[in-house]
Amino acid sequence: MAQSAEAASISRFSRTSHRHIKQGFFSRTLPFWLLLPTLLVLIAIQFIPGVFSFFLSTQSFERGQQTFVGLRNFERVFTSSAFGESLWHTLFFLIGYVTLTLIAGFVIAQILNRKLRLSAFYITVIFIPWVLSDVVVGLIFRLFVVPDYGLFSALFANPNIFPPKGISILTTPPSTPILPDVPFPPAPALIYLIFASAWKALPFITLLILAALQTVPREVIESAAIDGADGWRTVRFITFPLILPTLVVALFNLTLSGVNGVGMVFSLTGGGPGTATEVLSYLLYTIGFGRLDFGRAAALSVFMAIINLTLILLALRISRSEREA
Amino acid sequence: MSKTIKQRTVALVSGALALAVLTACGGAPPATQAPAPAEATPAPAEATTAPQPAEPAAGGETTFVTWYQYDETNTDEKSDERVGNAYLRKTIPMFNEEFKGKYKWVNQPQAWDKMVLNLVAAVQGGGEVPDLMQVGADSVVTTLYQNGAMEDLTDWIKAQPWFSDLDAGAISACTGLDGKIYCVPVAETPQLVFYWSDHFPNGYPKTPEEFMTQAEALKQKNVYAITFFGSTDFDGAATTRFFFTALASFGGGYDDGKGNMLLNTPENVKAVEFIREIVAKGYAPEIVFAGKFQEEEPMKTAEAASFPTGIFGYRYVNPLRAPSGKEYNTKTEKDMLDAIEAGDVKISSFLAPEGKKPSCGLGVTGFIIPKGAKNPDGAKAYINWIMDQRNNADWVIGPGGGVPSLNTTRSAPVFQTAFYKQAIEATAGLCRPWQGTLTNPPEAQKIIATVIYKLIKEDPTADIATELQKAQDEYNRQYAPGS
Amino acid sequence: MNATLAASSHHVHRAQRRLAPWFFNGAMLIICFLVLIPVLGTVITSLKDQTEVQRNPPVLFPCDTPDGQFSLSACRWSVEGYTRILEPRPSAGTLFGFEYVGRMISVYLPNTLIYAVSGSVLVTMLAGMSGYVFSRYRFRGRRALMLAILAITGIPLLTNLIALYRMGVGLRQTFPGYEERLFVIVVYVGFFLPFSIWVVKSFFDTIPRELEEASFIDGCTPVSSLIRIVAPLAAPGLTSAFLLSFVGIWNEFIAGYLLVGKATLRTAMFGLYDFIGQFVIGYQVLAAGCIMVALPVVLMFLFFRKIFFRAMVEGALKG
Repeated sequence: MAQSAEAASISRFSRTSHRHIKQGFFSRTLPFWLLLPTLLVLIAIQFIPGVFSFFLSTQSFERGQQTFVGLRNFERVFTSSAFGESLWHTLFFLIGYVTLTLIAGFVIAQILNRKLRLSAFYITVIFIPWVLSDVVVGLIFRLFVVPDYGLFSALFANPNIFPPKGISILTTPPSTPILPDVPFPPAPALIYLIFASAWKALPFITLLILAALQTVPREVIESAAIDGADGWRTVRFITFPLILPTLVVALFNLTLSGVNGVGMVFSLTGGGPGTATEVLSYLLYTIGFGRLDFGRAAALSVFMAIINLTLILLALRISRSEREA
Repeated sequence: MSKTIKQRTVALVSGALALAVLTACGGAPPATQAPAPAEATPAPAEATTAPQPAEPAAGGETTFVTWYQYDETNTDEKSDERVGNAYLRKTIPMFNEEFKGKYKWVNQPQAWDKMVLNLVAAVQGGGEVPDLMQVGADSVVTTLYQNGAMEDLTDWIKAQPWFSDLDAGAISACTGLDGKIYCVPVAETPQLVFYWSDHFPNGYPKTPEEFMTQAEALKQKNVYAITFFGSTDFDGAATTRFFFTALASFGGGYDDGKGNMLLNTPENVKAVEFIREIVAKGYAPEIVFAGKFQEEEPMKTAEAASFPTGIFGYRYVNPLRAPSGKEYNTKTEKDMLDAIEAGDVKISSFLAPEGKKPSCGLGVTGFIIPKGAKNPDGAKAYINWIMDQRNNADWVIGPGGGVPSLNTTRSAPVFQTAFYKQAIEATAGLCRPWQGTLTNPPEAQKIIATVIYKLIKEDPTADIATELQKAQDEYNRQYAPGS
Repeated sequence: MNATLAASSHHVHRAQRRLAPWFFNGAMLIICFLVLIPVLGTVITSLKDQTEVQRNPPVLFPCDTPDGQFSLSACRWSVEGYTRILEPRPSAGTLFGFEYVGRMISVYLPNTLIYAVSGSVLVTMLAGMSGYVFSRYRFRGRRALMLAILAITGIPLLTNLIALYRMGVGLRQTFPGYEERLFVIVVYVGFFLPFSIWVVKSFFDTIPRELEEASFIDGCTPVSSLIRIVAPLAAPGLTSAFLLSFVGIWNEFIAGYLLVGKATLRTAMFGLYDFIGQFVIGYQVLAAGCIMVALPVVLMFLFFRKIFFRAMVEGALKG
């Protein structure tokens, strides 16, 4: 709604740099016309479905009868055991995925920042996974670990490498939880999913961090070395604070893609073994399109939209306060 | 709920939809102004030949629209669906010729796993529905019933001449929870056991004890006694397959006959113990739990000795390599049929404990008429055409993928092969639809598959009765009648 | 004492400095290899035949002799996977004497190309127009509007999908001439537009206003100045928006899977998923399919990599 109000006010725009130029009606309202198609598309594809999701989330469709059920769909989603479990899975996935990608990206970016002669080649090679789709990545990683037949299945099944009995990524269930009702430690499949996702996200994060590192003046690093700071201390006290804003961007980027990615779960594990890789986004998909419970799925998607918006607003908040600082 | 809220929400949504439509069109025009690249959007040749729905054609001929999971335009010889595709290619002209001037059959192919979804969404959202839909999965009828997506066919079907010729099991699979008949069963698709006769030279084991003895012997020869779909993938499809075959054969099941889920029974506990033992002792390969339909791989190479699955499995399990090393390598359904004809593979019902009868899940393939169909008369004419002896066998062998529901058709010459004889004998009144009286099969399916998987694989020390009770309570709390 | 210590540490530093490039290059080569393992593994799998991929235990190269020795001459490479996807049929009038009838190559990939090209052309145009406005004009609510668009960037397709799916069903009913493809394309535009606006805006920001003002003095109207002066200068920005959306749409799975009903209109990602979703197909075919679907965008990336790199950094950091 805010959007259309803004659109209306555009006709009273002012063009700061050349007010002196005489303008006809069309020229004067040009920005409005330029913005209009964008606004229409965004309203149709982003705003209206948002409102419609909210509406659907209050409806029930039993025996062909559509009825208003208030918040019952939300209640049914939140009280189901699958919801709590997939919330945990999402959390563990995120922690692993974000940490792994950030650390690996940081290390690789540090090396690339040494301006090696082949840096351009390295970054190009590393970047290939980013161009692949989730479905392709999931399929590739799945092919490798199909029990008995997958190329690396024998490696994982080797008891010397994975004691005590070897594992099979797609089928070994999680070990007994340490705490009741908290599915920790996670199943090998979830860890494998983390690796596959990190593999795909790594290039982008590396590139971001590298771009930030290149803005750190070399003299600063060198003078720190002359002052006797060792490598780690330089990173910790000089590099790190300077690239922190970029790391924050990377962090939010990863979190958002991690919360919402469903393609890879789809093609890699299908939520299994058991429910070990059932994350929120996959749960949403199965409730809606597997079990045809549109009301409940809409309730879950409203919940997820709120999570996403919160994350984004938080990110904007942080980046703005940093810019001002 | 109050009427005003409903009115308001309806108004809101229709307004939103109208806006969406307007804006969708508003967003579109730039496409035509766009430079060359956007012009690169001509419809591919296939798209232009795609059928257009229900417009009365010239000369009083009305269009009759079907949804099949098969696609007559797909001529891919290696397609998994080539049997059904070829069938449609052959019969659409036949039907149109015979009903010339009256009906024109137009098929709109649907993805097999989205057909039900699309129909439910179309009925609920006021979208376009076909006049007739092919149904395949076992619980589809209940799901569609639950979503109010089908026309009641009871009176009409009972008035048809072929009704008395239908197998009773097939009718039960088409009956909704209110006792009315909602679908027309053309073929039955029971869950049976395919096994390599070299691995079970004395026939398939009759009792759990016998099975365990033979399984141990096979294990010594590095052969898995059994492979089955045991993962929780595909929203719990395992529930409808081997899990039900095992539980039902032990005398158990999933419901109490009144719409409640009933899992915690001594029979079910015994059955789960049996599967658990199979898994624990390594009589089943690990790929059983890998998800997707990959459990059939060891059956193809005879690394697994038996494979309980739907009768339609004969189409998908190929190429085959017998324990003797003999190859069946056309990579089509012919492989399995040949292997059965040659006696290398046999079909049997499952085993049962002392004093019980083996049982299995029973699905049907056939037709439903969706709510809101524009040309139900065309659909009924088509059904009668299919149920006619001239065309019935073709359909069963083509899209049906099972054994005929019409007893007369069973005696047709094409069904006198080893495959059909064994399948009909193994079914013989033993099978029933897995969902019984459960009102929400998709939900039940997921819950049951998850708990059985957990008991046999994930947590083989958990107490079976406790876990079954928990799962049953979770379902009944939300979906039991009157909850 | 102190002097000797300093001297020796100086030596160490010199030695380190000489060795460092070797060390880091070595490390990078290893990292590149590790990153490429999945890709190489897929290529190898795609070149095996059915019996090789069904071997238990699996072997990396299908090159072992019956007695278990590795020998290059024993290699049984096969293009079965690719032929299963392409399904060449001899045909007289065609370029190579073959016609390719596999659905992936004759239906799914062309569809994906249509969605990706038309979607990203639209995204580029709209992003160009609105990026220009955000970069050049100051009006009330500009900040709020930009923030709103930025906020949408994070909303994933998935959360709107239930509603979009239902809307699609409704639209089909309301409009006799409803075009599924148009709907899907507009959905893609709606989802890839916000990010592109940011990319394009940041490019516009780097173009000096003076150029435009000079054009005004020369008598250009704002519109003609936009087309003649600004658009060419912004070409790199617009290209990046195009490329990023193209790759995004090409790789998108879930919306294409759910919103497209007609078999003839489905996307390549759907085709790929369908291989595993439905009954079994050889792993070599799957691998070959993955490679064929990924190859176009990988080549595109290799060709335009500089533009990709710049656009991604700008888009993420300025946003």
